[in-house]
Amino acid sequence: MKHIVRKEFTDVLRDGRFRWCSVLVGALLLVSLGHGWVQARSAQQEHAAAQATARDHWESQGEKNPHSAAHYGIYAFKPRLALSFVDEGVDPYTGTSVWLEAHRQNDFLLRPAQDATAAQRIGALTAAQVLQHLVPLLIILLTFGALAGERERGTLRQLLATGIGRRELALGKALGIAGALALLLVPAALVGAAALVVGSPGPAASPLARGVVLAGVYLAYFTAFLALSLAVSAWARSARTALVILLGVWVVNGLVAPRVAVDLSKWLHPTPSALEFARNVEREMAAGVEGIPRPDRPALTEQLLAEHGVERVEDLPVNEVGVYLQESEEFGNRIFDRNYGALWDTFERQGVVHEALAVVAPLLAVRTLSMGLAGTDVEQHRHFATAAEAYRRDLMRRMNGDLAENSRTGDTYLAGPELWEETPPLEYAAPTLGWVLGNRILSILVLGTWLVGAVLAAAARVRQAEVG
Amino acid sequence: MTARTVLRNEWRLLMADRALRVVLGLFAVLLVYALANGVVWMRFQARTVEAVQAGNVERTRAIAEELAAIENGAEPASRFADPRAPNVLGGPRGSHTAVLEPGPLTALAVGQSDLLPYYYDVNIYTNESSFQQNGEVENPLNLMVGRFDLAFVVIYLLPLLVLAVSFNVLSEEREQGTLALTLSQPVSARRVVAAKLSFRALLVVGMVLAVSLLGILVTGGFSSPGRVLLWCATVVAYALFWFVLAAWVNSLRRSSAWNATVLVGAWLVLVVVLPAAINIASGLLHPLPSRVQMVTAQREASNEAVNRRSELLARYLEDHPEMAGGVVAEEPGLGALAWAATDAVNRRLEEVTSEHDARRAEQIALVRRYRFLSPALLAQEVLIDAAGTGDARFAGFQSQVRAFAEQWREFFVPAILASEQMDASVLPDLPRFRLEDEEGADVARRAGVPLTVLGALLVLAGVGAGVGLGRVRGAD
Repeated sequence: MKHIVRKEFTDVLRDGRFRWCSVLVGALLLVSLGHGWVQARSAQQEHAAAQATARDHWESQGEKNPHSAAHYGIYAFKPRLALSFVDEGVDPYTGTSVWLEAHRQNDFLLRPAQDATAAQRIGALTAAQVLQHLVPLLIILLTFGALAGERERGTLRQLLATGIGRRELALGKALGIAGALALLLVPAALVGAAALVVGSPGPAASPLARGVVLAGVYLAYFTAFLALSLAVSAWARSARTALVILLGVWVVNGLVAPRVAVDLSKWLHPTPSALEFARNVEREMAAGVEGIPRPDRPALTEQLLAEHGVERVEDLPVNEVGVYLQESEEFGNRIFDRNYGALWDTFERQGVVHEALAVVAPLLAVRTLSMGLAGTDVEQHRHFATAAEAYRRDLMRRMNGDLAENSRTGDTYLAGPELWEETPPLEYAAPTLGWVLGNRILSILVLGTWLVGAVLAAAARVRQAEVG
Repeated sequence: MTARTVLRNEWRLLMADRALRVVLGLFAVLLVYALANGVVWMRFQARTVEAVQAGNVERTRAIAEELAAIENGAEPASRFADPRAPNVLGGPRGSHTAVLEPGPLTALAVGQSDLLPYYYDVNIYTNESSFQQNGEVENPLNLMVGRFDLAFVVIYLLPLLVLAVSFNVLSEEREQGTLALTLSQPVSARRVVAAKLSFRALLVVGMVLAVSLLGILVTGGFSSPGRVLLWCATVVAYALFWFVLAAWVNSLRRSSAWNATVLVGAWLVLVVVLPAAINIASGLLHPLPSRVQMVTAQREASNEAVNRRSELLARYLEDHPEMAGGVVAEEPGLGALAWAATDAVNRRLEEVTSEHDARRAEQIALVRRYRFLSPALLAQEVLIDAAGTGDARFAGFQSQVRAFAEQWREFFVPAILASEQMDASVLPDLPRFRLEDEEGADVARRAGVPLTVLGALLVLAGVGAGVGLGRVRGAD
């Protein structure tokens, strides 16, 4: 079998088609890695600088009523995580910054894609896309003739006549092709790892562990594709038929299924229009909803007066305005949780449709896992958005608390820099690897099934392959 | 042997081929599915546009009612939202939403319409940062992947179908040994290939155009005949490019398998690799400036403006005597002071934005040169532009909204500066946004260069095919 592996390996390397294709794919892979790294790094530096300036603005806002400071608010900028240079995921389509202010949960603004052109939407290329689309194509081109071609040329009978088993023959071919591919992929993986170690573009929880799992995911994907191609090559009557079938699989996997998933997910789990969403929030903020009533200010004042046993608000030991403002924050938070929570949940359910369709297109499972590990999927955007919103709520609580505690109703009260500096800055901890993988059980299962299924199919097809 | 004989023969052959029937049937299903998707999306946008316009009417009605009640002696509902105050009537409460109707052929190409905003609330506080808003609520994952619309089918899948039905148009005859027989008739290889391919082109392009026209009929797009014509012309030119390319490769007298490999490789390079490589190259050579700095600049401008309100008002009145209307800068009302600060922030934002936009326009102009390398990028550009969902139409809308916001401010600011109150008599004169949508001629002008280049590529491949086929002999 060693001979088969060596022969297949040298055959592939001598083949001009492969050399050209792999040079092209390798170049695209390296360039996209480099480009991704430069871009992620400069974006992260810019976001970190903007975040520092935002904090600076907050601290140097001078003497102010705490509620004015709450209205002034602070901007949060989404950090670019370390592995985002491999897979930028949905980052171009989510906003980069959000204004955290009193009374409102705002949307993330500044989507990079909105600044780009339509051309970028059909041809954005990241390392992840090279790995998901082009490497499988390369595998197909290398493998479609592996058995079908030998059979057509009549050399399959000769080979088997030497006493080598069919399974060894197929395994040898697979290993030879894998070896040739490794020449392309291992250096790219090393470059990626080096980029991560030498100059990590941004923060992340355990970036190296994430990177190793990411490499494992792509390895499983490529192995599945290799096994599938071998199976088809063993089964097809001619090399041409094998190629046509495999190209069909590639088109469905990479082009048709992902877009069908979009429409299917929208059809199964429709999102409201931006107008409906905004009007709904506005309406609920104005009137409250069942179970979440608007705070009743006179009743609140009565309660405060009774609690402290005084007659007039001026005699209260707390500022009634601060207490009321916090009450209405709490009310608003519940309305926002209802609406934004429902929207995010819909997005998540739509994501599950994409994941489920991986049953027909393994790319969908790999893409989900890849974005998850790179920290650039919708769930991790939500994770940051939730952290930013939690920070906003804490900020408002501090401002209203200071107003309530340190002033009396009717006072002209100004807080100073101590209060601004006392407020901790926004510190974001990216989710752990366990969190990411825990969210992605479905994709892991489907990808695993593809891998096992493809290997079993290859074994079965090779065993039954006709000799001539 | 006439062309008609060839055509009739071809029809029989095609219909006898089961695999081909299946492929054609599948393609028809995909076309109809894509169209259905587009129609659903266009209806969704049309409903939203309707709701936005109803909102405009509703807001005006509520204000008119309150103004009438106040005139009859009632108190305003809220001291802070008194509709007589020009900064309330012209502010968020009385704002007017400027809307861009869905592009006439949105059902065929979703284009940028799922990403870019198609309506803006305009009031006196509208400034450059107002244009930084998101468009429709949409899952970022879905935005990233893109929609399964007719434009997608045309750009990606149509070439594959074309190649599937024509990669062996001549090589098969040779491999079956019928080429010598065919060419022994008084007919040239050129005529044979032309007849065979015309038949296939008629079939494939006919299917795409039929479904397109059906979509246009259903969604009322025939009111823009220029766009319809442009769409059809682009589909035809793009499909023909792939047919002629197949003819060229066939004229090289190689095996069917070789033809298939080369043509699939060409598809991969022209449709997948080149657009991606172009985007990477442009990202490296001409990176787009980021908007993040704008957030900081805006913040700094407003901090500064708040601290220097009185000084800013004096300067504002000097710069805009037409707005002053006899206001004396030494004793300004609170509204005038606030307005001066707002205006200073707006000016600073305009500076930052115009710098950014100039750099962006420069980069995009550089990037757009590379698109001539890929027929797929050219076709995409013209198709979505014809549909009215391309970048240009949205940019045009945005600049009209900008002008409208200026008009809106001119209506209200003099009253703010003079601390005057307004009443119901101004309602009929309020500025209303009227979109001047681009004409078919504007779209055609923009499409001129890309379509010419696409045509040139077509002619180039055609000449190659013509010369090559001239050399084909029956004895090959």
